[in-house]
Amino acid sequence: MRYAEPETVEAALSALSTHEDARCLAGGASLVAMMNAGRIGPGMLVSLHRIPELSTITETGDGLWLGAMCTHRTVAADARLRGAMAAVREAAAWLAHPAIRNMATLGGSVGLADPHTEIPVALVAASARVEVAGPGSRRVVPVESLFVDSYRTSLQRGELVTRVFLPRGEDGAVGHHLRFSRVAADYPTVSISLVLAMDGDRCRQVRVVVGSCGPVPLHVDAADQRLVGTRLEAEDVAEAGGLLARAAAPIDDVRGSAEYRRMLIPRLLGRALSQARERAHV
Amino acid sequence: MSDKVSVSLTINGAEHALTVAPERTLLDVLREDVRATGTRRGCDEGSCGACTVLVDGVPVLSCLSLAVTLPGRAITTIEGVRNGAELHPVQRALVLHGAVQCGFCMPGIVLSAKALLERNPSPTVEDVRQALGGNVCRCSGYTRVVEAIASLGGRP
Repeated sequence: MRYAEPETVEAALSALSTHEDARCLAGGASLVAMMNAGRIGPGMLVSLHRIPELSTITETGDGLWLGAMCTHRTVAADARLRGAMAAVREAAAWLAHPAIRNMATLGGSVGLADPHTEIPVALVAASARVEVAGPGSRRVVPVESLFVDSYRTSLQRGELVTRVFLPRGEDGAVGHHLRFSRVAADYPTVSISLVLAMDGDRCRQVRVVVGSCGPVPLHVDAADQRLVGTRLEAEDVAEAGGLLARAAAPIDDVRGSAEYRRMLIPRLLGRALSQARERAHV
Repeated sequence: MSDKVSVSLTINGAEHALTVAPERTLLDVLREDVRATGTRRGCDEGSCGACTVLVDGVPVLSCLSLAVTLPGRAITTIEGVRNGAELHPVQRALVLHGAVQCGFCMPGIVLSAKALLERNPSPTVEDVRQALGGNVCRCSGYTRVVEAIASLGGRP
């Protein structure tokens, strides 16, 4: 196995291009576990930990750019992630357990595209955009365009995630991430991430995303639309939840059956909305 | 062909000059090269916490950390927590509370608890539970472990 420790993104891209089977090493929490299990054996590792740009956080008028090598511990502790952006902060705070949060990174979670973890769900709810560097250029894409299937992204060979932009969202918007799991450190059985803005007691805008219920985070426009303009009463929530549950494609596993997960969706949606609403009124 | 990388790791305050293949984990290097076998190999996938060590004071999983990435970082293992002949206060509390049975998980638990108490000297029971969220123990049922660590915080 070859190894490189570049100090710039450009040097990392160049290292990635020298070996057909090169992989980026971010926090290692998933990549090294897969290597230990013999599931992958990259021909080359390009460690990203010496590239200062990738650990940088930049605040702009519109939101926050988070470097791809920011750990979940860093994201969970950043008080600037308020309003709509709080969905991602909360998701990072709940992900796995402390030692994993100290190692695993935001960019790593995007690249892994594990449909059962918190971060992809929250990033889609927060309308995050991702900067991807490739040979000769960088592009910024909506995060959902990267998640094409379970553990599969639209990133091309030789590309890497450099940073993630979280928009501040509209005035008064609040983000919230709610997970239901057997115990705190386990993967969620179902998680709901949402961004909500209220006009008095009416829903002005909402974006609901469901995790652990399909190969990619589940977002259904019709479910959002069913809630907009309503007072988020039980019937509204049940119908929006029904739309999400019918669109979901959960699996049966040790954390719950597919049927159980579908039943959880409307209940968790109601709980997540009422918790977010309490904050919207603060 | 595999790269061999020369690294100097700072383990419990001492420098160790080593030559390692990039795929070798800190856990491998601790147990096989440094012969510091107090750090346990449990699951090798980040689920059990038995291999927890501190890097710059925060708990990480040595089974998922590649040794080549760690020069210049302060690595603390269970061998480094005693003060001379004296047990660390966390170790003493675990003994006094009868919290240790087979002991396999304890190095990881001691290090997670040490990191917690350094950040938060008077944790609540809930803080202790959260801090130990990644440390699996198959014997104790956790109650005495949590009581022992919480007792160090001076809360009633």
